[in-house]
Amino acid sequence: MAPLKSLQQEYPLVDSGFQAFCASHGIFSVEDFLLYDVDVLISSADKQSTSQRLKQGINQLLSIIDALHRPLLTGLNLLEDSKRNKHALSTGCQGIDALLGGGLRLGQVTELVGPSSSGKTQACLQFATTAATKHIGFVIYLDTCNAFSPQRIAHYAGQSSGPVSNDQADHKPLQQVLDRIICYSVFNIFQMFDLLHQLEINLRSQMFKSDCQVRLLIVDSVSSLITPILGGSGPQGHALMISVGFLLKKLAHEHNLAVLVTNHMVGGDSGTSKPALGESWKTVPHVRILLSRDRESNICTFSIIKHPSMASGRAASCPFWDR
Amino acid sequence: MEKKESSREIGEERIIALEGTDLDVSESGASEILKYVSQFSRLDGSSRSPATFDGAQTAWTMLSEEKFLPCITTSCLDLDNILGGGIRCREVTEIGGVPGIGKTQIGIQLAVNVQIPIEYGGLGGQAIYIDTEGSFMMERVLQIAEACVEDLSEYGHLRKDAQDSQVKMHPNNVLQNIFYFRVCSYTEQIALVNYLDKFVTEHKSVKIIILDSVTFHFRQEFDDMARRTRLLSEMALKFMKLSKKFGLAVVMLNQVTTKLIDGSFQLALALGDSWSHMCTNRIILYWNSNERFAFIDKSPSLKSASASYSVTSRGIRNSTSSSKRIKMM
Repeated sequence: MAPLKSLQQEYPLVDSGFQAFCASHGIFSVEDFLLYDVDVLISSADKQSTSQRLKQGINQLLSIIDALHRPLLTGLNLLEDSKRNKHALSTGCQGIDALLGGGLRLGQVTELVGPSSSGKTQACLQFATTAATKHIGFVIYLDTCNAFSPQRIAHYAGQSSGPVSNDQADHKPLQQVLDRIICYSVFNIFQMFDLLHQLEINLRSQMFKSDCQVRLLIVDSVSSLITPILGGSGPQGHALMISVGFLLKKLAHEHNLAVLVTNHMVGGDSGTSKPALGESWKTVPHVRILLSRDRESNICTFSIIKHPSMASGRAASCPFWDR
Repeated sequence: MEKKESSREIGEERIIALEGTDLDVSESGASEILKYVSQFSRLDGSSRSPATFDGAQTAWTMLSEEKFLPCITTSCLDLDNILGGGIRCREVTEIGGVPGIGKTQIGIQLAVNVQIPIEYGGLGGQAIYIDTEGSFMMERVLQIAEACVEDLSEYGHLRKDAQDSQVKMHPNNVLQNIFYFRVCSYTEQIALVNYLDKFVTEHKSVKIIILDSVTFHFRQEFDDMARRTRLLSEMALKFMKLSKKFGLAVVMLNQVTTKLIDGSFQLALALGDSWSHMCTNRIILYWNSNERFAFIDKSPSLKSASASYSVTSRGIRNSTSSSKRIKMM
């Protein structure tokens, strides 16, 4: 936080006398000021000779801080924002759309968790294709396990729009769809932070471009980036994990994206599996979906573990993305 | 056009020069600057979408790349068929099975097959073989290499347009093109993985890395399972990065262990649940009435299928049993 003397230029009330007074209470930066009890400070200022000026200085600081917090929103503002900006992205599978109340909701972080080879990556590819074809939006796919398969995307795109012939003319719509899905390989959590910040800057600087917007951000899988740093001696891994969650939720809310992340399962007590990344991660995604795949019948079952407006425990099945 | 290009460059230079100093710019001012710069870069004709950053690729460019991505044959036609041509480059494949099923044999076969010249449909590359158990037998490699060269020259004779029927592959050269590393502890293994980036940058024709086996040094002497998971996941990410960056295939051989599933002990691949998520593809080798089978357990683009293969004196080959057929799941 800024030291008090950096405010001196803009706000002449925060002069050297005021700073000396604050220093006598151990306040050197704005952070110290926030932590200090304001009433104690005011009563101590009363006892000084320049009490009037000092109290003006305190009020000045308080008003600066007041101006910096986010504007208050009423419930009505939120409802209007939700109706106007935060509709749901259809996933391409009717059963799952019905399960999720329309699909992946913009402004929310959805997590797909499941054991190995249960269909998480396939679900991500399918949802990405639907977002690019049906909703004409950009999709950003962050891939950590080299599992992004453009052939599968082309397959799903072909499924929704009918058979694709080898004719050159037919490649145009497929190319348009595939051009909207942007894939980036990340192998490091710091690299992902870099990317997300870069994305934030890109989105903010092009606020008014309305023809084609980013609609879906997929991170497959976020757990493989967090597992190498989680646990251990220090709390940094934990802090980084929560920062990632915070950044994803901020991106989703401010720029009206749907965020989809995948997570894996680990063995819990008494042999049952549980989602990885621990207890603190449970609060991060808005919606958590458990996937399981029945090998014999190749049916993939999606069941809700957590949802802000639906009962958990409801499930829907989808044939396992026939190959 | 040129004027705009030069003014953009000047603008960028100025911004880079300012980077070192502490700027007194408010947040709105900073975003104005960035908007201005991005406007210039958009004016040069390329259609920048709101989402592109350096290094990103659209699915369309990746589609054409994926079609022409080379595969490394396993010398067994059935196995190649279910794998869509062979072991794919740019992906990390885990192969696991019980002892004696032929994991090391497959590893050695792949180390030889990656060197098949391009004229014969191979990659003409080199191999890195990381041996943790000491199961790499030089005599066996020589045997497989000789058999491979013999098969290729036979194929060369059958080709009608073969101008040069002499195969440019010699068994001694085959041995020369396999870089062998022996690791004796998990720290050596991790140190080697860190070193591989530099090594492959210097030896650009390496096209496959075989790790036999990834499990060995991580099974014993680990009291802290959480630490083991962290180390393994870090190692897996490094392999993923290597395979993507240099376009090579990474094959990791894994052992099996018993696991308590639904009240009974069953065979499962070692290294736990977290490890099973860290590969791109997984192939499980198993016995079925005296025959060896390979089953695709995990793949982003291949069907689940199993095929039989056999281990012969010439290497991995098709199974000679008459009842062999590719079983689709």
